[in-house]
Amino acid sequence: MHSAMNEIWPHAEPDLPLIEVKGLSHTYNGGTGPIEVLREVCLSVRKGEMVAIMGPSGSGKSTLMSVLGLLMIPSRGIYRVLDRDILKLDRSSQAFFRRTYVGFVFQRCNLVDNCSVYENLEFPLIYAGVKRSERPARIQDALARVNLSQRLHHKANQLSGGEQQRVAIARALVNNPLIVLADEPTGQLDRTHGEQVLDHFEQILAGRDKAVLIVTHDPQVAERCTRVCLLEDGVLKSS
Amino acid sequence: MPRKSIFFDIVRISLYQVYCQRRRYLGVVLAIALGTAGFIVIATMGRDVKKNLNADLDLLGGATLIRAYLDPYLPTHKYSKYPEFTLDTIEAMKSLPGVQAVSVIVFKPTAISTFQKEEVAFPLIGADGFFWSVNSFTPVSGSFFNADDVAKRRRVCVLGTRLAKKIFGRTDVVGQQCQIGNESYRVSGILGGVAVGDLVEYGFVPITSAESFVIGLSFRQKAYIRCVGWDDVSKVAAVLPDVVHAHQVTDSLRVDVRWEELKRVQRVAWWVELFIYLSTAATLILGGFGIWNGMMATVKSRKTEIGLKKAMGAEDRDILAQFMIEALSLSFASALLGGFLGRGAMEIVGHLMKSRASDALFFTCVGLALFFSLILGAGAGFYPSLRASRMEVVDALRYE
Repeated sequence: MHSAMNEIWPHAEPDLPLIEVKGLSHTYNGGTGPIEVLREVCLSVRKGEMVAIMGPSGSGKSTLMSVLGLLMIPSRGIYRVLDRDILKLDRSSQAFFRRTYVGFVFQRCNLVDNCSVYENLEFPLIYAGVKRSERPARIQDALARVNLSQRLHHKANQLSGGEQQRVAIARALVNNPLIVLADEPTGQLDRTHGEQVLDHFEQILAGRDKAVLIVTHDPQVAERCTRVCLLEDGVLKSS
Repeated sequence: MPRKSIFFDIVRISLYQVYCQRRRYLGVVLAIALGTAGFIVIATMGRDVKKNLNADLDLLGGATLIRAYLDPYLPTHKYSKYPEFTLDTIEAMKSLPGVQAVSVIVFKPTAISTFQKEEVAFPLIGADGFFWSVNSFTPVSGSFFNADDVAKRRRVCVLGTRLAKKIFGRTDVVGQQCQIGNESYRVSGILGGVAVGDLVEYGFVPITSAESFVIGLSFRQKAYIRCVGWDDVSKVAAVLPDVVHAHQVTDSLRVDVRWEELKRVQRVAWWVELFIYLSTAATLILGGFGIWNGMMATVKSRKTEIGLKKAMGAEDRDILAQFMIEALSLSFASALLGGFLGRGAMEIVGHLMKSRASDALFFTCVGLALFFSLILGAGAGFYPSLRASRMEVVDALRYE
């Protein structure tokens, strides 16, 4: 399954949308009955796009990001990446998809506290099967992009909130993923560092083969995106 | 199995996590280590411990002591009027498997001691140097005569406490001269205590001295055979008549074994042994539950880490492998520590009992303990690891 994915994707048609979602719905079984978090969501993201997803709390933004990152399977709908039906992958192939094509930046930084910055950045490389000899250079490079090279051997719990967020961003980028899913990536950063992160996302997109989806409440972040989508009560409205 | 390409990285991550959480696992590690050490000591030093326990419990009943008589009054007796054990027979009895020591005595029912013109009549035993160890006797004061005294026919004697009091009016008479018959003997030690029974009224001299200087002695008709352990008694008692008959012609042999005492002591020892094995097994099983419990708590407290790793692309089998390796390394390290503790305990027990188990046996036990620890770790760690591996990513990440 993995090798098939490797073979097909690099040769995919260049004009195909990178992400294509149709009629995506998801229902939770809450204590008071089923809650429909996403309703018939349709979204198409092309390579080189940086899409902002905005909306009030509880509107389903994080759920949408989880579905797009294959952290959860929606109740119904179609989700294609480069025209491949991602929802039909088995668990092992889902993991392969996540480690190869997706980089996550979570709302909470979610670093492994008792590990160093180097070790936190090494995890995605380990699971992606990157050779040990190649790892230091890639980790140094990712850290340099978020201006944290000097923190390489610090423990995660010795860093400030902003630094932890930048490490989380570096971790999402260290595998050079096709899709970056960022949930409030600049929420804990000051203006300067926030700008730097967005600059970096734009650098990633300069190659025109990737896409970045950002969940944000910050209109200034949204302004720098190529497109803004509004999610209200599980219904997505493109700008 | 995790993916081969990342196996060593997962081992490294697992060991590092165990190291980071070492305080949480300390109790479990110690419990398994102590259980393992107990197992090693029992397995390596068990026979020596049992031998010592034999000796101690035997003081209560003499269960491992076999008494052999050549009884001229048996109805079957027809050969010699004065039968006695020959030296060949005694040597053959000593060389039987399961026999620790053999002692032969001669006896005179009434000997006379004179002190300050007062005469005291008492039973006298002529004993060899093994008599004391065979009967597990220890002196109240002074020392017993030994094989050298017997070989050189020294005029030394041991008195029972009551006899010493009868003759001298007191018991602190070590070094005094005691007149027995026409000869004077130096008192080398005093025999007493509850375990010796009515022997407190007896006098004892070396068998060779008795045979040289005392008139009216019995022949060497009575032998005491001390077995190594309870399990040896019935075997020795069964072959004893054949051994005696192979070395001398006699039809007056009588073999007495205290079967009732033997059964009681065996029953007590069986319970003690069972209790020790059950305690060891319980310690190890509790250690296993400790690992299980610790791993369950670990999986719960590290849900975010599990979710995060899955989000980064770890497969279910990678997570399963990580937690299994953590459980296995815990139990393996515990058994290894138990091996070191066991070695220490083995040295101490060996020093106390003046014996030493073979290194081959020790390493076999350590090997067994390590093997068992791997089974324990795998058994205790499997379910928590499986739970961790089956965790849904979103549920795990939402945990905090």
